Amino acid sequence: MPSKWLLFPGRATALLLGNEAIARGALEAGIGFASAYPGTPSTEIVESLAWAAQKLGIHVEWSSNEKVALEAAWAASVSGVRALAAMKHVGLNVAADAFMSIGYTGVRAGLVIVSAGDPGMWSSQNEQDNRYYGLLGYIPVFEPSDPGEAKELTVKAFEFSEEHEHAVLMITTTRVSHVRGPVELKDLPKNFKTKGWFDKDPSRFTLVPQNARARREHLVSKWEAIRDALSNLQPFNRIEGDGRILIVADGVSYLYASEAAERLGIDARMLKLATPVPLPKKLVLKALEDVDKVLVVEELEPIVENQIKALVAEEGLDIEVHGKDYTGLTGEMTLERAARSILEFLGRGAVDIPWKPVDDGGLAGKLPPRPPAMCPGCPHRATYYALRRAVNAARVKPVYSGDIGCYSLGVLPPFREQDMLIEMGGSVGAGHGFAKVLDKQIVISIIGDSTFFHAGLPALANAVYNRSPQLVLVLDNRVTAMTGEQPNPGTGINAYGEPAPMLKVEDIARAMGVEKVVVFDPFKIKEATKALKEAIEYVRDKRAPAVAVARRACALEATRRARRAGIKQPLYQVIDDKCTACGVCYNAFTCPAIEVKENGKAWINPDLCTGCSVCAEVCPFNAIVKVVEEGEGWDDVWF
Amino acid sequence: MTYGSSGGKLALTGRSLNILITGVGGQGLITLATLLAETAIYRGVKALIAETHGLSQRGGSVEVHVRLGEVKAPLIPQGGVDVLLGLELIETARRLKTLSEDGVVLTTDIMLRPGLPGVKLPDKTSLIESMKNVVGDRLIVVPASKLAREAGGLLYANTVMLGALAASGLLDGLVDVEDLKAAVARMKRAEENMKAFQLGFDYCAATCRRGNP
Repeated sequence: MPSKWLLFPGRATALLLGNEAIARGALEAGIGFASAYPGTPSTEIVESLAWAAQKLGIHVEWSSNEKVALEAAWAASVSGVRALAAMKHVGLNVAADAFMSIGYTGVRAGLVIVSAGDPGMWSSQNEQDNRYYGLLGYIPVFEPSDPGEAKELTVKAFEFSEEHEHAVLMITTTRVSHVRGPVELKDLPKNFKTKGWFDKDPSRFTLVPQNARARREHLVSKWEAIRDALSNLQPFNRIEGDGRILIVADGVSYLYASEAAERLGIDARMLKLATPVPLPKKLVLKALEDVDKVLVVEELEPIVENQIKALVAEEGLDIEVHGKDYTGLTGEMTLERAARSILEFLGRGAVDIPWKPVDDGGLAGKLPPRPPAMCPGCPHRATYYALRRAVNAARVKPVYSGDIGCYSLGVLPPFREQDMLIEMGGSVGAGHGFAKVLDKQIVISIIGDSTFFHAGLPALANAVYNRSPQLVLVLDNRVTAMTGEQPNPGTGINAYGEPAPMLKVEDIARAMGVEKVVVFDPFKIKEATKALKEAIEYVRDKRAPAVAVARRACALEATRRARRAGIKQPLYQVIDDKCTACGVCYNAFTCPAIEVKENGKAWINPDLCTGCSVCAEVCPFNAIVKVVEEGEGWDDVWF
Repeated sequence: MTYGSSGGKLALTGRSLNILITGVGGQGLITLATLLAETAIYRGVKALIAETHGLSQRGGSVEVHVRLGEVKAPLIPQGGVDVLLGLELIETARRLKTLSEDGVVLTTDIMLRPGLPGVKLPDKTSLIESMKNVVGDRLIVVPASKLAREAGGLLYANTVMLGALAASGLLDGLVDVEDLKAAVARMKRAEENMKAFQLGFDYCAATCRRGNP
């Protein structure tokens, strides 16, 4: 649940998550429409707005993917309703087709597209720098440094977008979106405009080539007006201090560079930028006056650096411009990194860095690693376990085409059932290519329910149409689990928690023409293994696609439902005399609730056990038994 | 206000405190950090929390950065941690490197098994001994597994450690202990949390009170 401050009507200083601050900014700006596909670190923006929506009467939704989210928000905007679409950085790739055209059409009411980046890849498959999208699509990029500024800049972004009839791309990173900090709340508007009128103007909105050519000319001239306006975007863009050395930093890098310089006692002029694209030339030229050399501190790609280098060349200035040669291209900014870059740029040694890591005598290196793990009771663990058994029973050599979700953790031992993973929905499309060229391996494409609705549908249509011999295994845990249990088209509820149509994967597969469709309960290991074996043999023998649906709710969601409804959770324990210390439950099944005693026997931690019952079925010696009976309705919370 | 858009330069001369909270995803690290930060902000002290969500959070090794006082950047530098607040021993040991010269380690005695096949857990006593070899008497191990169970279960270990931190004196001048208690009283399962806080507080008041780091 978001902070109680989100709907605080008046002025106050509140501790908000960066994403909540953006949501609050959107509310202060009188937003009427918001859409998103969840993705770390962007999720809480629309999650917060959904929570606020019903109280305010605005429309907020989880869209089936980012492309749909952006198209819908754009339509609201050109109909006169302020709109926001949020996504993670790679989500903008999915929405890129729409994104690349909305510069041409422009907007009417403010349209803010938030794309939350992930330098350091804390929860992502790459660390692409989406500021490039601003340059690519002629969309100005706003980049806040902390939650307080994120709120203010969101309000400004709506105003700017409306004034210039142009979308704004707001880019955050993990260290803005997932930082909590003080935010100055201002008054919420009394009314939110949620309904509009679409004034038709095909010459602008219908991008057939003839119109698109004219809009392209318009776009290029508008871009310079936008650039000029950004030079005056105070206090977000500003020059601080003075000296013949200039440090330029955008977004959160400004905070690192500024704190590092102060802690090092370095007196430099600093240009703080909240708009890296397009470079506000007038302001930058002012910052460059009487300067000998420049260091640009920014994360990932040299976006600001290259624009400043171009400007210095254009103007014929005799100024050295540095950046990536000192800061490096990969990973996120840190204080040490900013300090080291500044010191080296000034020709001073790294010995002056005020922080020295402790020598722990190699202790950390001797400790066991702790990668993230599937939760106790996670249905994916049971599915992976059953799938391994089915593959062995069918005696096939599998290739596991992987996808994005909690089940990506199946890459880890003991399962190792994610042989590749490149992007959302990629399992089925790549699975098709594998299936067409691999004749001695069986392709099993593993995809979650939300990912299936997001980008799996076109790939499944292709698999049927081009007849690919692959098993598409849909892990239907009823929610978009990894980002925090958001509902999706298969869940049966909408973003507000109200009942909504429930799309069934098996119905869709049959309607698309898949002839072999099986649905199973992963907690029943024997039945699950049998269903999967059958499906694998069908693919092998008929050389046609099959779909298997593993249906069980996310354990976090199921146990939460049980707690709320006051339904008693069962508990399993190990009978010590029967346990032979074989290790199947903790080494082959690896439930985190099962601990190992010194004698190698298993012990179930009652604080962690979810009562899922699977370990009792997995144990070859029937040494695990139910010791607390479940309450009535327990089974229902799992579907 | 001292956020990026404040317009003025902030001289970083005043007191600040860097707390690195570590443990295993699901142990309530963010709850702990939020209580500290909200209590600081209530008295006009700036607070920043940097968290990890999403895939990296599920049962994995997690750290939350809490910076109080006159600070700007969200992440604590390696070698800049004033208080390493550990909810799990292996995770605490993993991060001794991050401590500043006089940084203090305040950790539970809880050890959780990573969910990997064939993983070998270190022996608890010898792990604590190895940690002492690195940081000496700046290591304080709170018997939080016992105290949390007394309060109602292992899930209260985070509140036990909040109580211990409150009693340590490390928060002086930044977070008011009475404010913190009041915040704990507003938590869900307030009775158990209050008890956990008090148990941690009493333990530390008797054994680990020290001045500002």
